[in-house]
Amino acid sequence: MPRPFPPPPVPTVAGDFFALLAQHQLAPVAGDAANAPVQTTATTVFAFHFAGGVLVAGDRRATAGNVIVTDRVEKVIELDATSLLAIAGVPATAFEMARALRTSFEYYRRSQLQPLSLPARVRALSRALRDNLALTLQGVGVVAPLFAGLDTSASPARPEIFFYDPLGAQFQAVGYAASGSGAGTIRSLLSYHERFGSPPPAQLELPEAVRFALRILMVAAEFDSATGGVAPESARFATLKVLTASGIQSVSESDQQRWIA
Amino acid sequence: MTEDPYRWLEAIANRREYIRNQLAGGSPVFAVSLAEGILLLGVGTGQSKVFEVFDRQALAGLGHPADLERIRQSIIDAAHLEGFTRAPEDVALRRLVGQGLGPQLKAAFEQIFAPPFLIRLLLAEVGPTPASDVLVKLGFDGSFTLHPGGVVVVADNPERESAIEAQLATALKNTSGVPNAARALLVAWHQLQSGPAAIADPASADLPTLLDALGERTVEAALLLRSHDRMARYAALDPARLGFPLRPSQHTAL
Repeated sequence: MPRPFPPPPVPTVAGDFFALLAQHQLAPVAGDAANAPVQTTATTVFAFHFAGGVLVAGDRRATAGNVIVTDRVEKVIELDATSLLAIAGVPATAFEMARALRTSFEYYRRSQLQPLSLPARVRALSRALRDNLALTLQGVGVVAPLFAGLDTSASPARPEIFFYDPLGAQFQAVGYAASGSGAGTIRSLLSYHERFGSPPPAQLELPEAVRFALRILMVAAEFDSATGGVAPESARFATLKVLTASGIQSVSESDQQRWIA
Repeated sequence: MTEDPYRWLEAIANRREYIRNQLAGGSPVFAVSLAEGILLLGVGTGQSKVFEVFDRQALAGLGHPADLERIRQSIIDAAHLEGFTRAPEDVALRRLVGQGLGPQLKAAFEQIFAPPFLIRLLLAEVGPTPASDVLVKLGFDGSFTLHPGGVVVVADNPERESAIEAQLATALKNTSGVPNAARALLVAWHQLQSGPAAIADPASADLPTLLDALGERTVEAALLLRSHDRMARYAALDPARLGFPLRPSQHTAL
């Protein structure tokens, strides 16, 4: 006679939340992109190493064509205690990816009693992008995220930055990475400061790193209408999160106000 | 046998007795609502007894490790599916137990030709205030009782639990802080076990003495934090000091 708790199905990989979703027929389904409306998109995000770890920043604007949808989007998302995802692209897809990854990482940690390794977390995002390939190829739901994660296999634990193309290719950034429509300006500024800055971004302490991040975001907004920028006079700031060996810390708007002055 | 009601009842009674015999001597587990959150504590010999389930939920239990592991996986699966399809805030211990684990354990217990689950569980869900905490005792037969906060003990024998719970409620009324609560729970553990590792007068012993008297056993404790800037509230406690939470969510087991 069968027991009410059936033997657990043999998963392809232990602790794989996506396998659990598929088993319950709850996996997100890619839809038909024909006749899609104008997409809402989110830009601009970037990350760079500073003296204390990695700073991940994002403006807060979402646009649809030439329409500003909102200036209050959170594009830097905590996936778990040691992982940050910064999204550029279509929020509808990116937020769902973030939600699935967040649940997936926590599910693995709780069920397997150990956190997912950094390479596995990096590949999980790559797989999520690859699963979105059909929509990406149709030009709908394109996402090009950044990922910052803590490598706990190093001693002491070391924060690392990764960037992706919309097809899921993953690349490790040495000093910085940027994505979104304002990324060109951001990359130019970061490259300039990395080569000629005194001190370079990697040697900045947190207040200076925050000031630097806000300033380059302001410059990017000068050249890209889809980048929200920063306006201290109207209390409009960026989303800034810091990943250090001891975890994630958000930089509050009051700290941004204080340090940009 | 099943066509004869009397024999079925006899089989169920035998099954209950068999399970109780198997659980005898199991190391008890505790949960108590504090201002800081819910403290869960167990004492084991290598096998984990306290586990994170979801953002605000945790479980502790005694019994066969393999059965404990299957139930743990089952409730983690259910909680994450609920949290993903709705929202993490919708994951509720009442539903997980009342509509999930409870009926499933009852069905398993009544299937007299299949091996039973040899477990007794304690589940906890932290709320915004101690009065809104939910503590649940879940038996091997699927029976469960909900407690709004307070202190709950799950031991090998339910009859012994009430006295210890009353004693702990009195002791905890006059104390505050996680280390003091952990000490009171360890005193209760020694009193329930009173085995070779027990000490003469646990009530007057200090925390290091209580810990030393455990011998080869290890304390496993965790705090479901009442408030935190992250959604995951589970924090394992340093076993040597029982009062200093490790970083929430990074450490699942000690």
